[in-house]
Amino acid sequence: MKDIFKTLLGAAAVALAATTTLAADWTPPGPIKLMIAFRAGGGADTQARLIAEELEKRHGWKIIPEQVTGKGGLNLAAVLKDAPADGTVIGMAVTETFGYNMAAADAGMKPGDFTGITTTAGFQMGVVSLSSKGWTTIGDAVAAAKGGEALRFGAMSPRLADLAYLLGKAQGVTFNIVEVRGGKAVMDGVNAGDLDLGFMAGIQSKGVAAGDLVNLASALSVPLNQTPDAPTFADLGVDFNSDGQFLFAGPAGMSAEAQAAMSAAIAEIISDPDTGAGALIAKAFGGPLIVSGAALQAQLAADFDASGALLAAASE
Amino acid sequence: MDALGYVWLGILAVFQGPEAFALLGVGVSVTLVMVCAGFLLGIVAGATPGLGGPIAMAISLPILISAFGFTPDALLPVMGFLIGIMKGATIGGAVPAILFNTPGTPDSYMTTLDGYPMAMKGQARRALRIAHLSSASGDTFSDIVLILCAPFLALMVEAYLDLPEKTALLILSLSFIAAVVGGSPGKGLISAGLGLLAVYVGTGEDFYPRLSMGTQTLNRGFPIAAAVLGVLILGTVFHQMAQGHADRLRPSGDAKTPDQDADRALSWPEVRALMPTILRSSVIGTVIGALPGIGSTLAATIGYTSAKARHDRHSPPDATAFGTGAPRGIAATEAANSSVSGANLIPVLSLGIPGNTAAVFLILAAESIGGFNPGPSVFRFTTDQVNPELVIAFGLFTCMFVANLMNWTVGGVFMRSMGFLARVPRHRLLPVVLVLTLTAIYVQETRMEAVWFTLGFGVLGFGMRLVGMSPLPFVIAFILGAKLEDSARQSFSATGGDPWFLFTSPVAAVFMALSVLVVVLGARRRP
Repeated sequence: MKDIFKTLLGAAAVALAATTTLAADWTPPGPIKLMIAFRAGGGADTQARLIAEELEKRHGWKIIPEQVTGKGGLNLAAVLKDAPADGTVIGMAVTETFGYNMAAADAGMKPGDFTGITTTAGFQMGVVSLSSKGWTTIGDAVAAAKGGEALRFGAMSPRLADLAYLLGKAQGVTFNIVEVRGGKAVMDGVNAGDLDLGFMAGIQSKGVAAGDLVNLASALSVPLNQTPDAPTFADLGVDFNSDGQFLFAGPAGMSAEAQAAMSAAIAEIISDPDTGAGALIAKAFGGPLIVSGAALQAQLAADFDASGALLAAASE
Repeated sequence: MDALGYVWLGILAVFQGPEAFALLGVGVSVTLVMVCAGFLLGIVAGATPGLGGPIAMAISLPILISAFGFTPDALLPVMGFLIGIMKGATIGGAVPAILFNTPGTPDSYMTTLDGYPMAMKGQARRALRIAHLSSASGDTFSDIVLILCAPFLALMVEAYLDLPEKTALLILSLSFIAAVVGGSPGKGLISAGLGLLAVYVGTGEDFYPRLSMGTQTLNRGFPIAAAVLGVLILGTVFHQMAQGHADRLRPSGDAKTPDQDADRALSWPEVRALMPTILRSSVIGTVIGALPGIGSTLAATIGYTSAKARHDRHSPPDATAFGTGAPRGIAATEAANSSVSGANLIPVLSLGIPGNTAAVFLILAAESIGGFNPGPSVFRFTTDQVNPELVIAFGLFTCMFVANLMNWTVGGVFMRSMGFLARVPRHRLLPVVLVLTLTAIYVQETRMEAVWFTLGFGVLGFGMRLVGMSPLPFVIAFILGAKLEDSARQSFSATGGDPWFLFTSPVAAVFMALSVLVVVLGARRRP
């Protein structure tokens, strides 16, 4: 998995360099409607809006952000699919929307119906609990569950709920998996004692630094930046992980110039820590992670195809 | 950071927020400006029969959001403006009630009973001063209770209620609102049921959109603004239009008003004589305001009737009787209806449960802007890092006191000059409200379907009013529907799939029993 990732990144860099010259000439034929798949006010929404502001400032494009939330981004995808492909309608969601969610919904949409523009950042997805519980690693939580404690495990998407189930299965325990809306709701639930542990995608960093929260495990294929000693899901016997990124996408059939111009413009902004968007991504999302062009398209298709395996494993 | 630190941060957030302009080199924060502007607009809206606080809030909200954007910085200016309107409208409503026997807002109906007779005796200015004094006192009293109660209630809920109990509490609130608002518990339950049905279109955890009948239009569900503004505002507009405006064009008291006494401030003995009445009514209004669903109109009625009963028992026979221009009648009504506004934010801020229309719009603002989710998690006094929602909560409290200060200082003068608004003809006003509401919806949702949805909900609200069904349970159910479903699903999974999760803990079982009891009692009360 790591290797695939590096290859993709490399391919993206080449694609980016090759298209930057083309991109300079492209200007959108009108105002751009930017649909955002996340609730207003959250970290993801703020990221999208900060990028939009900076795009307006640097390139003079007119961008109109609009919330199209719900159904794990599929509501956005449904609108985006039939939108004009001239670059005037784009959306910001997560790769999970085009992978697991699209596969699970089976609603006649597939990654090929869209043009991936660029990813912006990944998640620092950890399994987190209050440090006052006295657990230092996921093994302690598993031991508590084996001792007869009914543990509530918060997850903010069906894919993560599947992963929580598989984690329990691999460790020989059953968690009571509670699906809530958004990472903030998981954190509120954990803080209020309604949940014992749960997934958090970066929102936990302050609490972990302050010693209130503890990263019990990394739900990624790689260790967490903040708690490199926490075991990954692979270490814990789970064949799947929650790797994924935020991304901008358009409808299928966007011209290569438009796609390249947009991805170059966005990449330039998020790689610049002096911009609001760049600072936010560096602080909350572990720095920019840029995959675009053919590499991104290939990644989305691969995620979609691989989702079947996770769905099958979780429904056993 | 301790509790006082948060209070201080909240105050700073209001006074040192983004600057609107500088006065003599000192920056005036935009929140401060917005609270004051909202307060003055509220008085104007309250003093205009047919307009009122909810309509003013509904029209300004989308415009404010498009002006301030979706950042947490927008929360205090926008919500401060709405709080200003809420407070202004309650005192504004008394103006046409006293001067023209036409209540500007429904809750000032009782003010006409003694206010207009006083005006006929040439004491209109004195009546207005009494109304202002009572209103401002009631309002301030209620705000103090809010600030003292809300954080503790929230902390208790967080400490003692688990997911199943929270679900049961939501069911109890909905059932209570359905039982006490409007004509009958049956109609209330239907209204709430329709609200739940509407909010469940297109939502839910499943990837497949439910109840959308396979259409793309319904996939995303109904926008909350379309449902709330349609049922509440357009419903009222259609209903008032249909009532035939001819009989309401002129204020009923446009017969010649007698010569008026000179304006003079109330003397200390006058104020002292009114104070017991004001205090009793403030307590009544505050208690009623803290219960979800029972609005300021009932508070005003109870405040007035209890003051009347007391007056009949204890006053000398030669004192002015209630209904013939008794100053205490005005004081009892205005203190009661104004003291609802602060207290009704107790369930909003501590539980996320709106109790009346004003609270509905505050929740709507918080939902649209994001970054502030009214509910128990707001009052988490984290010490190592700042909880931004708590700062906003104390910022809102500060806004309320800024509005109170406005009320005590310029409120009276401004209110007394608003008499002319009662002459604004409704047949001109209503179409303006209609167009402004639809425009506001389009500004916020930027798609044409939202306008059609709003019109559809307007027709629904109109129909509900025709059959004497209150639209308030509909709106509150629409707002609480998602929270109810989420918390029920979560309780179910958290208890390991126990289907009886609502009845296994004693607290939840008591809440459920009470939910049934309020409906049964409500039905028996009105045979």
